[in-house]
Amino acid sequence: MFKKILIANRGEIAVRIIRACRELGVSTVAVYSDADRRSLHVALADEAYHIGGSAPGESYLKKENIIDAALKSGAEAIHPGFGFLSENEAFAEMCEKTGIVFIGPSAEAIRLMGDKITARKIAFDAKVPLVPGSEGAVSDVEASVVADNIGYPLMIKASAGGGGKGMRLVRSKDDFESALRMARSEARSAFGDDSVYVERFVEQPRHIEIQLIADSYGNTLHLFERECSIQRRHQKVIEEAPSGFISAKTRKKMGEVAVKIAKAVNYKGAGTIEFIMDPKQNFYFLEMNTRVQVEHPVTEMITGFDIVKWMIRIAAGEKLPFKQGDIVMKGHALECRVYAEDPATNFMPSPGTIEYLSTPSGPGIRDDSAIYNGCEITSFYDPMLSKLIVWANTREAAIDKMASALREYIVLGVKTNIGFLRRVMADEEFRKCKIDTGYIERHPELINPGTRDMKPALIAAAIAMNNSTGSGLQAQAAAASNWKLFARRSGVTRSPLA
Amino acid sequence: MTYTFKLNEQVYKITLEENEGQIEVEIDGEKLPVDYRKIEDNLYSILLDGQSLTIGVFKKGKKVQVFFDGDLYDLESISEREQRKSSLAASGVQEIKAPMPSRVVKVLKSEGDEVSRDEGVVVIEAMKMESELKSPIAGKVRNVMAKEGDAIEAGTVLMVVVSDTPPAE
Repeated sequence: MFKKILIANRGEIAVRIIRACRELGVSTVAVYSDADRRSLHVALADEAYHIGGSAPGESYLKKENIIDAALKSGAEAIHPGFGFLSENEAFAEMCEKTGIVFIGPSAEAIRLMGDKITARKIAFDAKVPLVPGSEGAVSDVEASVVADNIGYPLMIKASAGGGGKGMRLVRSKDDFESALRMARSEARSAFGDDSVYVERFVEQPRHIEIQLIADSYGNTLHLFERECSIQRRHQKVIEEAPSGFISAKTRKKMGEVAVKIAKAVNYKGAGTIEFIMDPKQNFYFLEMNTRVQVEHPVTEMITGFDIVKWMIRIAAGEKLPFKQGDIVMKGHALECRVYAEDPATNFMPSPGTIEYLSTPSGPGIRDDSAIYNGCEITSFYDPMLSKLIVWANTREAAIDKMASALREYIVLGVKTNIGFLRRVMADEEFRKCKIDTGYIERHPELINPGTRDMKPALIAAAIAMNNSTGSGLQAQAAAASNWKLFARRSGVTRSPLA
Repeated sequence: MTYTFKLNEQVYKITLEENEGQIEVEIDGEKLPVDYRKIEDNLYSILLDGQSLTIGVFKKGKKVQVFFDGDLYDLESISEREQRKSSLAASGVQEIKAPMPSRVVKVLKSEGDEVSRDEGVVVIEAMKMESELKSPIAGKVRNVMAKEGDAIEAGTVLMVVVSDTPPAE
C-alpha cells in the first residue's frame, strides 16, 4: 500500500477520498486554489499545497503545479477524483513518466474511451448496440446534413465532453443553428475543444449505467446498475441503485456487455459504462466514464463494496479477492444531489455564503458533503453542495427515508433545490418509477412550492427582525462553534462501509 | 412593534407583542399566541398552535431570507414610504440584470433594436454553464451596458429595454 496520496480535487469528492485514505492508513495531501484556502478538504488532509488561482484553469487543471506538489510532498500516487484532470490522458501520462501512480486506468484506456468516436467504434466492435448518429466530429455543414438524415429530435454533443457540458437537445430544424453555436462555444470554454457530433435522441430515454471494477490481473467485475434518469440540463440530480425498471435478465445482459467493453481496452480501476434505454428495455451504449462517478455511493450502499478504497488498492497492485458471483446486492439506495441553484430560474446556480446549515442524520442516511456554516460557494466551481444518500430495504422505503431526511436539511444564504427534491419524493410518477430523462421538464409544477400558508415564515421573519433590534428577549443565544459542528458532521457523515 | 414584509409582490403586516418569552402575533387581523426560542444564530424554533416549526432566518439589510419547509423565500422588509411607492404600477422600462457573478459571452442586441417578449438578449457564463438572459417585455433596446468578455457582479445592469406600449396606470 502507498504511504502518501495526493488528491487532485476539491469539494466533497476530495473529502471522500481523504477519508478512504485515512481508513487505509495512508497520509493525504490536498491541493487548493486561492478560493479554497478555507475549504474542508484542506482542513482534513495531513498536508496541503497551494496550486494557483481560483479559476480551474489556473489551479486544478494545471498539471505541472499538481505534479510539483506531489513531488514536493513525496506522494507516491495521485487520485484525480472526478471532473478536472480525472479523464485527461496527458495528465495520466505525465504521472506515469514522473513515476507517480495515477489512480485510475492507463493513459491509453483514457484516450480510447475519452474520444467518444473511438469509444463508439470499440463498442461497435464488441457488438454493443449504438444510437444512430454522425461518424465522428462534424463541421457545421456536415452536422446539418447528418441532422436532416437522422431527423429530429436529436442531440448535439461535445466530442471531449462529459457532465452535460457542450450538450444540446434540438427538437426542430429551426433551433439547430443556435444550438450548434451554443454547444460549440460551451465545449470550447469547458474543454478547450469545440468539436461536436450529432446523434438521434431516443424518446422517453432512461439513463442506466453499469459500475465496473477491474484489477491489473484481468479480473473485471460489474457492480450492477444505477438509474440516473432524473436530470436537468442533462446533468443528473437523483440517482438510484438498483433501477426500479429493468428485469433481472436485462441487468445480467448489461453487466456482461459492460465487462466486454472494459476488457477490450484492458481497463483497470473503477469505471462506468453509460447506456440509454428505451421503454422496451432496449439499451444503447452512450459512453464510458474512466473515473469514479459522482453517484458511486448508491452502488456502495447496495453492495457493501467501497469503490474508492478499491480504486486505491488496485492502483497499489492488489488483486480483487472476489468473483462476479460474490457480488450481491441488497435493498435499495437513493442519492439526491443538493445544489446551490434556483429551480425557479431554470436551475441557475446561486453562489453565496452558507449562513446556516443543518444536515440530516440517522440510520441508513449518508451525507457526502464539504460545506459548513460560513463557507463560501463561489461561481468558480460546480454548484453541488452535497450528496444525500439513503439506504432501505425497498425502493418505496428508500423514497420515504429520503423524504424524511430532506425535511431535516436546512440551508440559508444560497438558494437550493431541497424543496424541489422533496416534491419529487412525494410525486406519484416518481414513486411508481415512471421516469425518464424528460421527467423534470414534464413536471414544472414541482419547481415551485405552490400556495402554502406562509404565516409561520412571516412570523419567523418578524421574530428575527425583533431580535436584531435588541429588544427581543432571546436576543443573546450562544453562537455555535464552527469547529464543534465540523467535528459532529465528520463523525456522522462517514461512510458506514468497510 | 409592527413589521411589514413584501413577499412575491404581496405586502404583509405583522405586529408582535412580547411578554416574558411568550409573544402575541397579529397577522391578517388574526391574533395568535406564539412561543419561540432562538436555537442558534439564524435558527428559530417556533411553537404555533401546537405545531413545532424549525425555521431558518437570515437578514442582510432589508432582505430577509426565510428557509421554510424546504424552500428559501426572499422577503423584503419595507417602510411605510416604500410601501406607497411599490404600489405604483410597474413602469415600461425594464433593466436586464446579471442574476449572479458571471461573464458576458455575447451581446445579442444593439441599441435601437426591436425585441420581442422572452427573446434572448445577452448570453452569460457562470459555473461553466452558458445561459441566455431574455427580455421580459416586448420593446426597443434603449441602452447596452454589457460588453463581451466583461466580468460582471450579480445585479449589474446589462441592458435597458423600453416597452412599446405605455404602462397601464
